[in-house]
Amino acid sequence: MNRLPAPMGLLIQRDQPLDFSFDGHPYQGLQGDSIASALLANGRFLMSRSFKYHRPRGPLSMAGQDANSLVQLPQEPNVLADAHALSNGLAVTAQNVNGTLDHDRDAYMGKFSKFMPVGFYYRSFYKPKGMWKVWEPIIRKKAGLGVLDLNFQPEYYDKAYLFTDLAVIGAGPAGLQAALTAADAGAKVLLIEQQPILGGSLTYARFDIAGTRADNLRRELLSAVQQHANIQVLTEATCNAWFTDNYLPVIQGKRLYKVRAQQCLVCSGSFDQPVIFRNNDLPGVMLTSAAQRLIKLYAVKPGKRAVVLTGNDDGYLAALDLHDQGVDVAAVVDLRHAPADQALAGALAQRKIRCLTNSTVFEALHEKGLRHVKGVDVRQITAQGQVSDKGQVIDCDLLCMSAGYMPVYQLLCQAGGKLAYEDSRAEFSLSGLPQNLNVAGSVHGRHQLDNVLADASNAAHDIALALGLSPAAARTPLRSEAQVNFNWPIFPHPKGKDFVDFDEDLQVADIVNATRIGYRDVQLVKRYSTVGMGPSQGRHSALPTARLVAWATQRNISETGVTTARPPFVAEKLAHVAGRAFDPYRQTPMHARHLQAGAKMMPAGIWQRPAYYGKAEDRDACMQAEALHVRNKVGLIDVSTLGGLDVRGPDAAELLNRMYTFAFLKQPVGRSRYALMTNEHGVVIDDGVCARLADKHFYVTATTSGVDRIYQQMLKWNAQWRLDVDVANVTAAICAVNVAGPDSRKVLEQLCSDLDLSAEGFPYLGVRQGTVAGIKARLLRVGFVGELGYEIHVAARHGLALWDALMAAGKAFDIRPFGVETQRLLRLEKGHVIISQDTDGMTHPAEIDMGWAVSRNKPFFVGRRSVDILEAQPLKRKLVGFSLPKGSVQPLEGHLVLNGPDISGNVTSCEYSASLGRIIGLAYAGIDQSTPGQCIPIRVEGGIVVQAEVVQLPFFDPTNQRQEG
Amino acid sequence: MKIMMCPLNGPRNISEFTYGGEFKPMPDPVNCSDAEWADYVFNTDNLAGVVREWWMHTPSSYWFLAERHTVTDEILRTFDPKELFTHRVDFNTPQEIAG
Amino acid sequence: MTSLKAHELLTPPCRLIDQTDLPRVGFRGAHSAEYLTARGFTLPDAPNRATAQADGSWVARLSQNEYLLLGSPADQGQRIADEEARWELDHRAHYLLPRQDSHACVLLSGTVIAQVMAKLCGVDLSFPAFKPGAVAQTAAARINVIVIHSGSVEAPAFHILWDRASKDYFDGALRDALEEFGGVGLADRA
Repeated sequence: MNRLPAPMGLLIQRDQPLDFSFDGHPYQGLQGDSIASALLANGRFLMSRSFKYHRPRGPLSMAGQDANSLVQLPQEPNVLADAHALSNGLAVTAQNVNGTLDHDRDAYMGKFSKFMPVGFYYRSFYKPKGMWKVWEPIIRKKAGLGVLDLNFQPEYYDKAYLFTDLAVIGAGPAGLQAALTAADAGAKVLLIEQQPILGGSLTYARFDIAGTRADNLRRELLSAVQQHANIQVLTEATCNAWFTDNYLPVIQGKRLYKVRAQQCLVCSGSFDQPVIFRNNDLPGVMLTSAAQRLIKLYAVKPGKRAVVLTGNDDGYLAALDLHDQGVDVAAVVDLRHAPADQALAGALAQRKIRCLTNSTVFEALHEKGLRHVKGVDVRQITAQGQVSDKGQVIDCDLLCMSAGYMPVYQLLCQAGGKLAYEDSRAEFSLSGLPQNLNVAGSVHGRHQLDNVLADASNAAHDIALALGLSPAAARTPLRSEAQVNFNWPIFPHPKGKDFVDFDEDLQVADIVNATRIGYRDVQLVKRYSTVGMGPSQGRHSALPTARLVAWATQRNISETGVTTARPPFVAEKLAHVAGRAFDPYRQTPMHARHLQAGAKMMPAGIWQRPAYYGKAEDRDACMQAEALHVRNKVGLIDVSTLGGLDVRGPDAAELLNRMYTFAFLKQPVGRSRYALMTNEHGVVIDDGVCARLADKHFYVTATTSGVDRIYQQMLKWNAQWRLDVDVANVTAAICAVNVAGPDSRKVLEQLCSDLDLSAEGFPYLGVRQGTVAGIKARLLRVGFVGELGYEIHVAARHGLALWDALMAAGKAFDIRPFGVETQRLLRLEKGHVIISQDTDGMTHPAEIDMGWAVSRNKPFFVGRRSVDILEAQPLKRKLVGFSLPKGSVQPLEGHLVLNGPDISGNVTSCEYSASLGRIIGLAYAGIDQSTPGQCIPIRVEGGIVVQAEVVQLPFFDPTNQRQEG
Repeated sequence: MKIMMCPLNGPRNISEFTYGGEFKPMPDPVNCSDAEWADYVFNTDNLAGVVREWWMHTPSSYWFLAERHTVTDEILRTFDPKELFTHRVDFNTPQEIAG
Repeated sequence: MTSLKAHELLTPPCRLIDQTDLPRVGFRGAHSAEYLTARGFTLPDAPNRATAQADGSWVARLSQNEYLLLGSPADQGQRIADEEARWELDHRAHYLLPRQDSHACVLLSGTVIAQVMAKLCGVDLSFPAFKPGAVAQTAAARINVIVIHSGSVEAPAFHILWDRASKDYFDGALRDALEEFGGVGLADRA
């Protein structure tokens, strides 16, 4: 292995070798290497094939910012080789390859690029109609990236909140300085860095001819940060978005931090930008910063003989780095006429490095099969984007390029920041950021190191003031600095392969053609050409695209702009978003007994309830047996999920009078009344019973799913009405059972010593307070399932004891528990509606024959006016009972009721009734179909139409003798 | 995620709140026309500007009012409904109440 | 500088004590403050504050006129149980809320409990944002909770109350959150 001597290699541990393989070849790397740096240390540049033309590609940014380094791991596709840490035994393979990476059978694709313009697939394979279905699998196979491991076992990912005064995003010189200034003022600072070490550009870039400044400054800042108690650091952590009020998702390992910061300072830096010329994608052509990262972070010599193509002074400094590390720098090719700092020209001359100004690389020359760069054709620049006819060829195996910088604006634009292009500096700047979001450093257009530090310190100064703290020092003035962006680093070649977007293999002509076809808007150019849609999300293509679109449409670049930046900033796993899932559920106090009794549980909202007792495959038999048992003997059902509200105070009756359709003012104590609720639209939204326990105390039940909403509505209305009443939601506090069946009184008699349970002493709809098995209880005579029945409501803490006492006392009467599905069948036999199952968002009382539950003898109830208006109109549909002979095809909920060619309604409930020996159900039907004896056609599964007979409700015990007895 | 100031509980994630609809006066339910009632029940102004809305802090079931700018989504003020509802409302005599 | 990367930080384990069966009760109404004061309770002077009583009971004020009384382990909550038993509905605006039945309750203590709760809850429960005696009515693990800081700055402790029907659910979420901090002692797992 070929590594540069220390102090190069900040990240690597030279004494910890790691074995790994790439496409089956064994290699050795070091602890601290990325996959890409380890491969490059082994002289392996070719890492992937491009998406469309299968061109050989090597790393471009060495910072996880490009798609060239995407590789396949055994359990994970699309891994960034330059960002993924190497580990021992790692088996890496290339992806998007037909054959092998070195000999890709699809490499010929590039030769056909002229015939495969943008939009080629859509234009060529959609006709004749239906052909896309034939072509799609073939094209998908050619175009696919990576392979999923379908045997992958999910791992534990989680989330946590993190609260801070100030979140600093990016720990380069700006981030470090800002964190220190703010922390010194007393702020609690969270410093978030994507890389494993702090320092940003200080870890790899060069800021002076001597080459000592970066390292000294980094040591100085780091030691201050490490000693500071107010600074918390997250490394290898990516802030992937900015959301309102500084809500920042930060991914570190398998955890997603939900950072909430009072203030946020983005010091995200800027992306080195490529120059566009022919074959600018060859392995061995990389961003200047990538070469510097290889040297400084990994001690990898990126080449033997280099050419540096630059649009600013940083290229000169990089040339010094290369030279210092023994790379033969064949030439610095400067797009400008001269460096800003003349001392740099002197430094190159001193080292005998050739400097060609006002020049560019027009074409990179390559080895056979485009395997690696082997030289450059350098030309004089004659006009914007144009070059002289003849140039000189310089041999090299490394070409570093840097046309300038693009601010890492993604988070800032997500926050509403606007980009404006400053022609004088050929650079985008940001404005319009929300309050409490700030920006400093090179993302803010400060590139000179002293200015970066001053800018950061000034931002932190202002932030400290905004936090109500006192910054130690005053603001520092900034100095003017040289332009870092070359204004037109684009040199189209007549033979193309001048790539604007490496991810999508897009060339200059592709972008220009898009505008010629009529897509003037950069957003449309993006969608048509797919520029910026690849994994690197326009980090290197947005700026040249903006310039090209502006040029081709004769507008300025500010007008053209760049495409919208949306979260996430880098690819994130669904596991991070899903994380540890919170899926709340509720259980009644008797839950354990249901399980012991073999209940098949079902969800009811977030409650877990027994559907019936028995195995899923025996559903029908269990349910029918339970139902017959309730009809003939006695059953017990847990109805704890029923909503419960205690309404107390002088205005308790008045509140209910206004909330429900019925009248409650004169309801006697010790009686319950059916309670139907409509909303302001007159639509039925809930029902229950109001039990008057005392003059000023009602106990109101509501549906399981509706109670929270009903409770909230009562509070909302009374915030306006100011009635003297208290409403308490006691749903979880009170649990309840319904003992139902002919023998239910006998069971209860075993347990109630202080209650007269006789038909006269405790009649139907009566309400009593007493004890059951010594437990304080509220008892309600109800008839939901159509049998003699008692609802017993007790405090949740006593629920289990109550259940056990009833089961024990009922043993002599063969009591058995029944489930929700059985209860639904029993109530269906009685024709009782379930609100929200048998009603929908349009149902008003008259449609379900509930006119009797609406009182007109009171001045107001919510929905009254709408009900009046609706009832003045002719009824359009009605809920009816229907019946089919045993053995017919059973309609399901939602099946349509037909009326000639029209749909007149739908089935809302349907089940076979063993008590009746028929299929029975409820359905909406047209008014002209709703008379008992008529037939309604129901279209069931498979489009078959069955003729059901409309039947008078209830189906069972029409005189209600059983429940009232 | 947006933060909203609850008059009872202080600044909280917007996910802790339930929207309760636009604050608008209810016309006299007995004496208004059908058209006025329908307008109240079905139509909202969808104003581009500052609107008053009902919000509830869900964990404490506390209802309050908010003044929010619908263009910037800035919440200018939140306050207890007692500020507006100072006395008991009755329906015995026709009168205008809020909703 | 502190680093959050090292999750394996050595921290003293948290203690989790289930107090669901320890008596507690709520009262609400315009006359509740007067009534409770007459019954010898010291009441917090603002909503979302809690006050320790001399006998180890706690009174938390949840709104202008709603109070939550937590029993003391010292008397197995007898004083609070008695208050619940002696209440009856009369002419006063003073209504009982069955908080022992409506809510489950645990006492979570330890130096890292704010970090534990940060895995479940969007409100900053660390010092100084959440001080002893503070109350937060909020959402944790997607259900409503009441968190009462009943400890001190040096020894933080939270009473956490939530929907009793979700006892099993939130117990699981809480124990899962505690896992990375060493979980809870075996004695507390009962």
